Amino acid sequence: MGQAIIQVEKLSKLYSLGQVGTGSFRQDLKRWWLSTVQKKQDPFFLETQDSDTSHIWALRDISFEVKEGEVFGIIGRNGAGKSTLLKILSNIIRPTEGRIRGRGRINSLLEIGTGFHDELSGRENIYLNGYFLGMQRQEIKKKFDEIVDFSGVEKFLDTPVKRYSSGMYMRLAFAVAAHLEPDILIVDEVLAVGDADFQKKCLGKMHDVSSKQGRTILYVSHNLPSVINLCQRAMHLQNGKMADIGPSSRVVNQYLSKHQKKLHMQRWDNLSEAPGNNFIRIHFVELIPHLKNEDDPIDIRTPLTVRFKFWNLIAEQNICVGLHLFTLGRECIFDINTTPQEYSKGLVEGQCEIPGNFLNDGSYYFSLIFVKDTSVELFYFEECLSMEVEDYRINMNWYGKWSGYVRPRFPFRARQVAVEKEAVSGA
Amino acid sequence: MNQITPQKSSWTWEIKPESFWFQWQLPQLWSYRHLLLRIVRRDFLIHHQQTLLGPLWIVFQPMIILVIYLLIFEKAVGLSTDGLPPTLFYLSGIILWTLFSECFTGAAFTFIQNGTLFGKVYFPRLIIPLSSVLVNFIRFGIQFTIFFLLLLAINPSRIIDDPLRWITCLVFSTFVIAGLGLGLGLVFSILTAKYRDLVNVIHLIVRLFMFATPVIYPLSIVHPDVRRWVNLNPLCSVVELFRFGFLGEGTFTEFQVLYSFSCMVLLILTGSLLFNKFGNKLQDVT
Repeated sequence: MGQAIIQVEKLSKLYSLGQVGTGSFRQDLKRWWLSTVQKKQDPFFLETQDSDTSHIWALRDISFEVKEGEVFGIIGRNGAGKSTLLKILSNIIRPTEGRIRGRGRINSLLEIGTGFHDELSGRENIYLNGYFLGMQRQEIKKKFDEIVDFSGVEKFLDTPVKRYSSGMYMRLAFAVAAHLEPDILIVDEVLAVGDADFQKKCLGKMHDVSSKQGRTILYVSHNLPSVINLCQRAMHLQNGKMADIGPSSRVVNQYLSKHQKKLHMQRWDNLSEAPGNNFIRIHFVELIPHLKNEDDPIDIRTPLTVRFKFWNLIAEQNICVGLHLFTLGRECIFDINTTPQEYSKGLVEGQCEIPGNFLNDGSYYFSLIFVKDTSVELFYFEECLSMEVEDYRINMNWYGKWSGYVRPRFPFRARQVAVEKEAVSGA
Repeated sequence: MNQITPQKSSWTWEIKPESFWFQWQLPQLWSYRHLLLRIVRRDFLIHHQQTLLGPLWIVFQPMIILVIYLLIFEKAVGLSTDGLPPTLFYLSGIILWTLFSECFTGAAFTFIQNGTLFGKVYFPRLIIPLSSVLVNFIRFGIQFTIFFLLLLAINPSRIIDDPLRWITCLVFSTFVIAGLGLGLGLVFSILTAKYRDLVNVIHLIVRLFMFATPVIYPLSIVHPDVRRWVNLNPLCSVVELFRFGFLGEGTFTEFQVLYSFSCMVLLILTGSLLFNKFGNKLQDVT
């Protein structure tokens, strides 16, 4: 890893909103009349209220460098400008301002199976797709068998791809893409399609391409663990601007903690405004994640504490408080409660400790329930706290969704109890 | 935030906001020649897959039109064919007109038919209209063979006596006709991508333009006052030239042939300049 292989300087892209696609000839004529013939300022460039709402900067002043052999991640929410950036890098659209310079052959994989034609056989499509992706004739010929092997469709090579199952279709398309040998590879959300097995194959191949063949990769993904694992550096795009750039784990973590949909604290100091009823009023509920670094996101390892305090309005009630944890799909993960107890009028507080390495990644919310005499519901405070738990993996080459609602680390071991003799003598 | 370090090494490519009128990139076009041939192959394969008669349609189509023209214009209307055998007269008109109209529409719909593809991958966009011209040349070749065999059966002396004459006329007129189709198509490809209304105009042009071209009538029966206007159509003289070469009759002057040729050069030049300049920007629109 040494020299910069791509250099992006002050890149901007302006889009006009509204009736772009219809392209009215009259409008263009009018603009030309005003700007050229009457020598007025082109209304397109007027900084009026109107032009502010009808134009949008999809990218604004993006500058960065990618070094040779580096895997560079680009993250951001939908509409942040990631795809626009990749399209400019792939020479599909032109920037409005700025420039990009680079060295060597660049190939982009904005989708797999570009140029595939349903009526044509697998064999024809390998060639067609290869040429569309910029491969040379000799290159395809040399790798043809390898591509067919990799895709596993050799039996159906002369069948039109419209008769393929979607899995076969995708495998064939990916096989061609996987055998590209550019100096710079641009990859957009290859993982968004296909099953876990397919994603594993994609990522494995990308890993090979970067680590073994030393190629440069620009990688856009919503699969953040894969960005941390594959990329050395990453950039966070936000509304077309560069919000952060640096080591991928730091950029991803900051992005996550900024964008997590969370409700970690609700507090009411005034009894009359507090949620509740004539029996119970909530003072506060709070979720405290125990993190090393305040900016880090909650992940599956993080221990959590739920604290709450409420006003008990009726004396000598026998109350038990229940804490429910739900997934976003409203599946209850657990329902635990305090020992029923009589409390005097006044403030009561409680807390629950949830250990780390217990929940799986996902979005969750908490509800509190107050029950009298273990049978009568006094107040149900639904969705009072919510959080997102991020995935965390190390030494793992698989990035598919981990199944299960919980992900506990019970003692679980395997060990060898006997060795076959042949293996010993062979070694 | 990110410090740009000065680079001593030379960059091999650059992407800038501006696009240029004169950006031919011929070496790049050449490096994509295999793609061009593949697209030609694809177009042939998909046109004739799952059809009963397959590639025979290339021949049947003009033959069916020929029969209809013979029935209507020859038998019913009794239109003059300059004293030439009506079968050969109409067939020559049909295959030449097909060559022009297919080259024109093929190029004109470049951006409309390939919008999604262009949005996903970069390759010189000129490959698409060029491949369409190539496909149509091959189709023309097959249709021409039928015409040639018919002529050989009806009047072999025309072919045997003076081969240089018909070869020159064939090469020149097909070249100019395909070139006119491509050039006009390139201009319209840019215009239609921006102003979609013109898509309807294209079909209209193809229909009406045929009547302004001596496809179903010889130029000689047109009144001299009107002929001056008809001759503004650059297709006129080359169609007549083709007929002259093979059938011995045709109304044209050297000046008119030169005019047609210049029109073709001008259209191709304008078309490819527009294509270079605006082809890349259209991706934001389509």
